[in-house]
Amino acid sequence: MQTLIQNLIASGAFGKNPRWDLAAAITVLVMSAVVFLGVAFPFAGIVSWVERRVWARIQSRVGPNRVGPQGFLQWLADGVKNVCKEDIIPDEADARLFKLAPYLVMLAFILPWAVMPFSSSLILADLNVGILYMTAVTALTVVGLLMAGWASNDKWSLIGGIRSAAQIVSYEIPAGLSIFPVVLMTGTLSMQGIIRGQGWAPQHWFLFANPFTFVAANILYISALAEGNRTPFDLPEAESELVAGFATEYSGMRYLFFYMAEWGNLYIIGAIITTLFLGGWQFPHVTNSVVAMNVLQLITFNVKVLFLVFVSMWIRATLPRVRIDQLMTVCWKYFVPISFVNMIGTAVWVAIWPDGNAAMGYIMFAGMIAFGAVFIQRVIYYLRRSRMEVYFNPTI
Amino acid sequence: MSTLHTEEMTLNMGPQHPSTHGVLRFVVRADGEVMREAIPDVGYLHRSIEKIAEKVGYHGFMPYTDRVDYVCAMFTNQGWGMACEKLGGIEVPRRGEYCRVIAAEFNRIASHLLSVGAMAMDIGAVTPFTHAIREREMINDLIEELCGARLTFNYMRIGGVGWDLPPGWREKALKYLDHFDPILEEYNALISWNKIYVERLANVGVITPAEAINYNLVGPNLRACGIKWDIRKDIPYSVYPEFEFEVPVGNGQWGQLGDSMDRYVVRIREMAESSKILRQALEKIPPGAVLAKVVRNFRPPAGECQIRVESGRGDMGWYVVSDGTGYPWRVHVRTGSFAAMGIIQKLSAGLMIADLVTLIASLDVIAPEIDR
Amino acid sequence: MSALSEYVHNIKDTVSTIFEGMAVTASHFMRKPYTVQYPDRMPVRVQDTLPFRYRGILEVDLEICTGCLACERACPIDCIVIVADKDPQTRQLLLSQFDIDIAKCMYCGLCSEPCPTGSIHHTTEFEGADYSLESLIRRFVKDPVMAYKPKKGPETDSRIAPILNRGMTYLDQWAQPGGAKPAEEEPA
Repeated sequence: MQTLIQNLIASGAFGKNPRWDLAAAITVLVMSAVVFLGVAFPFAGIVSWVERRVWARIQSRVGPNRVGPQGFLQWLADGVKNVCKEDIIPDEADARLFKLAPYLVMLAFILPWAVMPFSSSLILADLNVGILYMTAVTALTVVGLLMAGWASNDKWSLIGGIRSAAQIVSYEIPAGLSIFPVVLMTGTLSMQGIIRGQGWAPQHWFLFANPFTFVAANILYISALAEGNRTPFDLPEAESELVAGFATEYSGMRYLFFYMAEWGNLYIIGAIITTLFLGGWQFPHVTNSVVAMNVLQLITFNVKVLFLVFVSMWIRATLPRVRIDQLMTVCWKYFVPISFVNMIGTAVWVAIWPDGNAAMGYIMFAGMIAFGAVFIQRVIYYLRRSRMEVYFNPTI
Repeated sequence: MSTLHTEEMTLNMGPQHPSTHGVLRFVVRADGEVMREAIPDVGYLHRSIEKIAEKVGYHGFMPYTDRVDYVCAMFTNQGWGMACEKLGGIEVPRRGEYCRVIAAEFNRIASHLLSVGAMAMDIGAVTPFTHAIREREMINDLIEELCGARLTFNYMRIGGVGWDLPPGWREKALKYLDHFDPILEEYNALISWNKIYVERLANVGVITPAEAINYNLVGPNLRACGIKWDIRKDIPYSVYPEFEFEVPVGNGQWGQLGDSMDRYVVRIREMAESSKILRQALEKIPPGAVLAKVVRNFRPPAGECQIRVESGRGDMGWYVVSDGTGYPWRVHVRTGSFAAMGIIQKLSAGLMIADLVTLIASLDVIAPEIDR
Repeated sequence: MSALSEYVHNIKDTVSTIFEGMAVTASHFMRKPYTVQYPDRMPVRVQDTLPFRYRGILEVDLEICTGCLACERACPIDCIVIVADKDPQTRQLLLSQFDIDIAKCMYCGLCSEPCPTGSIHHTTEFEGADYSLESLIRRFVKDPVMAYKPKKGPETDSRIAPILNRGMTYLDQWAQPGGAKPAEEEPA
């Protein structure tokens, strides 16, 4: 950010001899607006359309495809519809808390975008404690959801809110513990530092560095899904039991805020995993032009994050949801002990090989390719058995 | 520290709810997540169908029987047809009986598909529901060619069936069965053996065999407790003795005997068995008439009769009292879902609220059948 | 050590079953959706794709109606109202009213079965939604017409013959009580 501001001043964008703090403030504000309003919110909307189309293909049907080309404007139509709806606040509900809750949840969704490393120089704030800031700020959702559940004056919402509070708070622990192996391997908490510690090739990613980080990556991904209230952990909004859980009494745009936060969280989950384990924006050095490299890095980062978003949607379409006591069992009896084992194992690994073990990277990457090959073989088996027509076109 | 004051909550899982399989109401007394009791409240779908029979007469009542249980319409049709035939001493020609069995077994597959699909959706997996409905749509297409309707079939008549198999239908039906068997295997791989699903269903709502008999459960609910009782084998009717098929029984291998997983797996296995029966029936169907001659103003002699049919939900009983005129004196239908409502209150003690949904779905409760 | 083996077994089970499930859904992602996008993205009108026996909205061909009132008696809901009186001058049966209330009709088919000529029949039309309840009472008689008298031999009137033909083909689809041969050919 510093270099960007200096470059901008040097190129005369602020006129002759501007005040440094004024130029910095304007740059930061404009960039924040671009990121928050131009990337975060539209993404949360667009991903709702993508999710519906992806779900529909998995379920043998066509998703929304009428509003706009291939239904692309469906999310805008949904937004407009929700804004036009009557804003119902239950009579006995605590109106101030009721109105405040969606904004807190939105806050938890918006704040992590400040440290999102889009490319080597496109980051709003390269904090020294980037990943810690992200973990801390995503936990704000608990406050919002509890507030929503309590303020609705509805027993079903209360159950949903309490469930979600228990869930998010519990899964913070395996998530936090799974970040430690990466921090041990790089020695820094800053997002750019962690990415710079990895290489562009898959075998240099932290995912394949050693078996402990592989398991840690999986645990982090699943815990992040649990924190984002996604299936298989979507009890707080279990549609078939509690109608909409904590959001039952909400209508119109307030209701949509909860869901936009959930959809937007998909990107944040993907970004955390990409940064920590998948090499972030690393791209081989093919050109000396800074702008071109930044664009390529931006594309790489987004491809990785969007793939993880797709996997989240795919998991949501496949798996049933777990019950609250099973959720707690999985967290405390399985994830937390395994996370501790990961941490200790990585510490031992770093002590033995301080510069990393390249051979292990290759071995694990080869193992992953074998796993992928087995998966594709199963997919082809099901395609052949069912004798239904194959159709690869994403549009219809 | 003195004990914390706690209260139990009374929640209302109201008539409008995404997962009560129709219009049912439960008053749930819960201590946090764990329920003390779930008291069912039925009657929202009562349409006086049994009384209507006394007004429309024997022939005219056949379409109304579809509405008693619209998911298993063929079985209700068959039950009413058999009751009137027994009263009037009419014999159905053999080809008619074969057509009845074919239509009924297709309906059983469709009903079980809806049941397992809805159960998967209540547990949280949304995809198996749409896959099951897709398969059901293909069966509906077949039956639409056969009798003209997709849900309320009105296929059977007193003395046989209303339409014969159209030309080319046998081949289409066999082609569908060839398509269905691998789809069932795929469905199982997707959801039935999924660990999360098994954990949700195993050991939930365990019904012991003695309880099942005491509470009058029938059908897959009863067979899941290990009791091998199927009307098609034990009190055979129609041409079922001519077919070879097994009666799947629960064995408690995922949890305890008689839990929800047993009920679910019994339904999946029953679909495979129905597929077997259908292949044999489509192979062996004899030529001939499908409808016996019955007069327009059907006046069976005074008397009463009781018929039991193995429908998708179990032993469906039809009790008809005739007084010699063209209108029945009294018709009563005894359905499996009504009995299942009685056991929900007892089983719900100690379950979690999420399990209540599982329990209702596994008992395959269809609201119109409870209230008629 | 059975607790540890059960622990590991649980993890292995979870991973393997989820793997299978994801393979199934991935395979579905590449299959053609089963949806039929009605009504605008269909090559043919839906009504033309429905089978011949489809029980849609009722229709009456008054040219071949004999005024026997069998359909009115058969209907369990009494949604057919027919007024057929003997005209004092011509001593023929005169149909002055033939109303079917398709709002009440439950599309059971019990009326088309006993019709001797197949004049009351189900069409493949199913789009009946309208803005007023009045429009759902289909009145088939505009001016009073004479009922049809079926002839002993084949029908000679060239205007009525095709309609009668269609009606009898429609009736052939129903099961013939007592053993008559069912229809062999699928009607066009």
